[in-house]
Amino acid sequence: MTDTGKTPSSGQYAFPRTQGTDVIVIGAGLAGLLAAAKAVRAGAKVRLIAQGWGQQIVTPGWISVCDRADDDVIAEVRGFAALHPDHPYALAGDDAVVRGLASFCRLAEEIGEPYEQRTKDGHNLRLITMLGAIQTPLAAPQGIAHGDLTGFSESLLLVGFNGWRDFYPEMAAGNLQQQGINARAIRVDLPAGARGWDLYPAELALLLDQVDARNMIIHQIKPHLSGVDKIGFPAVLGMDQHLEALSHLSEQLGRPCFEIPTLPPSLSGTRLSQKLRGWLLRRRARVQIGHPVLRGIMQERRCVGVEVGALGHNNIFHADHVILATGGLYNGGIQSDETGRLWEPVFNLPVMAPPGEGRSGWYEDRLLHEQGHPIHRLVGLRVDSCMRPLDASGAPMLENVYAVGHLLAGFNPLTDGCAEGIALATAYKAIATALGLKKI
Amino acid sequence: MSAQSVDVLVIGGGATGAAAVYDLARRGLRAILVEQHDLATGTSGRYHGLLHSGGRYVVRDPETARECIDENTILRRIVPFSIEDTGGLFVATPADPADFPAKWVQACADAGIPVEAITPAQARAQEPALTSQITAVYRIPDGACDGFDMIHGFIEAARAFGGDVLIYHRVTGLIREGDAVVGAHLEDTRTGEKRTIYATCVLNAAGPWCGVVAGLAGLDVKIKFDRGAMIAMNTRWVNTVVNRLRPASDGDILVPVGTVCVLGTTSVITEQPDDYRIEAWEVSKILNDADAVVPGIRLGRALRAWAGVRPLYEPPEAGNGDAIGRDVKRTFSVIDHQQRDGVRGLVTVVGGKLTTCRLMAEKAVDVVCQQLSHTRPCTTAAEVLPGVKTNPHRLDHRLHHLEHGETPGELICECEMVTRPQLEKAIAAYGDQPVALDDLRRDLRLGMGPCQAGFCAYRAAGILQQAKKQSSADTTRALHDFVNERYRGVRPLLWGHQLRQLYLDEMIYRRTLGLDQLAAPEEPSHD
Repeated sequence: MTDTGKTPSSGQYAFPRTQGTDVIVIGAGLAGLLAAAKAVRAGAKVRLIAQGWGQQIVTPGWISVCDRADDDVIAEVRGFAALHPDHPYALAGDDAVVRGLASFCRLAEEIGEPYEQRTKDGHNLRLITMLGAIQTPLAAPQGIAHGDLTGFSESLLLVGFNGWRDFYPEMAAGNLQQQGINARAIRVDLPAGARGWDLYPAELALLLDQVDARNMIIHQIKPHLSGVDKIGFPAVLGMDQHLEALSHLSEQLGRPCFEIPTLPPSLSGTRLSQKLRGWLLRRRARVQIGHPVLRGIMQERRCVGVEVGALGHNNIFHADHVILATGGLYNGGIQSDETGRLWEPVFNLPVMAPPGEGRSGWYEDRLLHEQGHPIHRLVGLRVDSCMRPLDASGAPMLENVYAVGHLLAGFNPLTDGCAEGIALATAYKAIATALGLKKI
Repeated sequence: MSAQSVDVLVIGGGATGAAAVYDLARRGLRAILVEQHDLATGTSGRYHGLLHSGGRYVVRDPETARECIDENTILRRIVPFSIEDTGGLFVATPADPADFPAKWVQACADAGIPVEAITPAQARAQEPALTSQITAVYRIPDGACDGFDMIHGFIEAARAFGGDVLIYHRVTGLIREGDAVVGAHLEDTRTGEKRTIYATCVLNAAGPWCGVVAGLAGLDVKIKFDRGAMIAMNTRWVNTVVNRLRPASDGDILVPVGTVCVLGTTSVITEQPDDYRIEAWEVSKILNDADAVVPGIRLGRALRAWAGVRPLYEPPEAGNGDAIGRDVKRTFSVIDHQQRDGVRGLVTVVGGKLTTCRLMAEKAVDVVCQQLSHTRPCTTAAEVLPGVKTNPHRLDHRLHHLEHGETPGELICECEMVTRPQLEKAIAAYGDQPVALDDLRRDLRLGMGPCQAGFCAYRAAGILQQAKKQSSADTTRALHDFVNERYRGVRPLLWGHQLRQLYLDEMIYRRTLGLDQLAAPEEPSHD
């Protein structure tokens, strides 16, 4: 925990003069990664510092921008933002939503982790879950996006593995049938070499990188293909050879094969994180994962550097701009304690809290309450349209610190179906503002 | 509607009822136990896990203390699988009354509770997390007890002797014929099906519901409901039971049980036998009091909070009618309604401690036998449960089985190490009856660890669906019920780490699974 009482001064630090602009990004979720990549592309010197990988390694992996939109998603976002001027979408602007998403998809394509949207009509996908519910994000990793059920009226085959604890295709098929979707389930034996009682999705995926292992599965599925138009698997189809595995299965089985996101960890999020890390390192960005940023070093209303915790002694890095993408209550960007105190640990920025005494107004009485829990929507930072944090009176507090993603108040990432859209839009807006990029 | 006839009908599937049906069966009587929910759903299942040595009661209530130390010794022998020999410490701090330890040591000697004085340094060598501010500390033979395992043990033993058990059956009426109770009307709480059981004697072991049951026969048994909250911390902060050496009060025990450490308790008089609320002050109080003995525990990760209702009963002749909470003695009473009210065929047993459940059963069954003129004496204290291995419970049993067992099967609940074969066996034990995931939790500790079922709920639901060959809709409903049940216990503790855990669980249920989009249960589950 940091000293959250006062802001330290910079007097005692003499930063070496360097050429170029120093951008420090704190946090390695979607927002931090996109901000770091955009800054690298814009020619800045980038240091990405994070305590751990962001939420993409536990989420289903898809990109929710406005899940409830029935038709044009961006039009829906635009309409919504017009009515809710304090919502992060309204603050970032719909241009940032479009460009942030496009920017992310280009990057993902470049690193070999393509994300797909439905067609060019800007409508949401219709994807199935392990339980047989339908989710409607705008984009998803290719293997998952292939499961889009829009306009699909034929037959699904869901494939599980005997003796594998993480997928129950009968349960999904039954619930899909209830919703009028023609689905049935089969189970095949695990490929030889699979370990017994605690086989994790990543281990199974590494096994399925191998052609032999895939052939063992293909061989078992072939007798069940009559009347099948599309085949769903748990999202373990390969790790390093994921795209090859996907096309190999689809070719051999003669039908499109797709993935259904598993319980955490998310393989698509893990692959994305690893490949983006490589991409950043190859472009001479510094990437420090596993290090806490203890505090910002202030010079009046500017942050001139950050202090980073490390074994032995802490390090101090110079900053021209800081992108604060530390996440919300889950990721540690906002902390909480038993008395109901909520705080932002790096800059001690003011955190919006739900009304009521202590923790009394944080949660509803049922976990899956229709409205979601107040804490998710109401807790967070307020920012201006440049993503600069605001004080209680609504004035920007710091000149060169930009808060993005789950750290922001005003949306519920678990119920609003817009978590990734906001991460990408606000990260894009922040970096474009910081570096004075024209396309905004 | 069906009817059957037995010698004795036991009402209540807690520790006392379970021990009683075992005792009855062992004495050769045809006995059946009925329970309105699952076994151990009431006070016994909402227990802190402390196998009392009696030290906590010895000054104010030496009679209960003596019962505790005797039963402590007996239970270690007859149900060893459910007891871990953790030992106990009584620790005094500068905040506690200085004259209390001497009084306490004398009282222990009088009650026959073996106590060993040790130095603070010895205590801290044994339990390094203890405070450095120790003014006096003693070793005492406390233990940790898994109440679920013990109750299941008694039930299996009862069955081995011909006893029977009917869960999810609520008593809707007692049948009176003149001045005798001759049986009960029951309703299956899941199907609504009615049945009647005729019995020569009914043993009312319904805990907080004793008054309600007696009322069905037109009799008055006044119970005080004393609500107590407990909190499970995510690891065993101590490996020895730690008691605060002061007059019994709120927040003075830490019990290492299973993989967690249970902190307790509070004492709040309430009006309802099933008032399981936990107020914010109770959480703060429990954490702060524990922190005085184990500094830093307040900032640790609290997994789950729950409350139980102690049924307190003071016989009118005790002349202590206005006593409340901790001032009501924890000894138990057996009410012979023939003697007291002139109504044959009904005996009520109430009060006491989980540690003394066997003794309560013995004394109650003695009265039942008297009414039945049945002369076989009680042998439950002398004999180990049939078929029981005499090894005491050890924390690493499940891990050992996983790593060295022949075919352990998939690990479904990683926190509590519950495997697929264990689940399938537990499901099969219900036969044709419906099974809730929460039933399996009580059977196996499913979902009781750090993630509070975030990961295992889906897996267990899938296995349940396969095993019962039930529809996805039914399975999804079972999943909803379990998720809500687990949430109730986490909700008082949502800050810091456990808040982050719940965020992950909610993310899994809403986004990865989409459970919120599939039909929710039509009515909230019981509890």
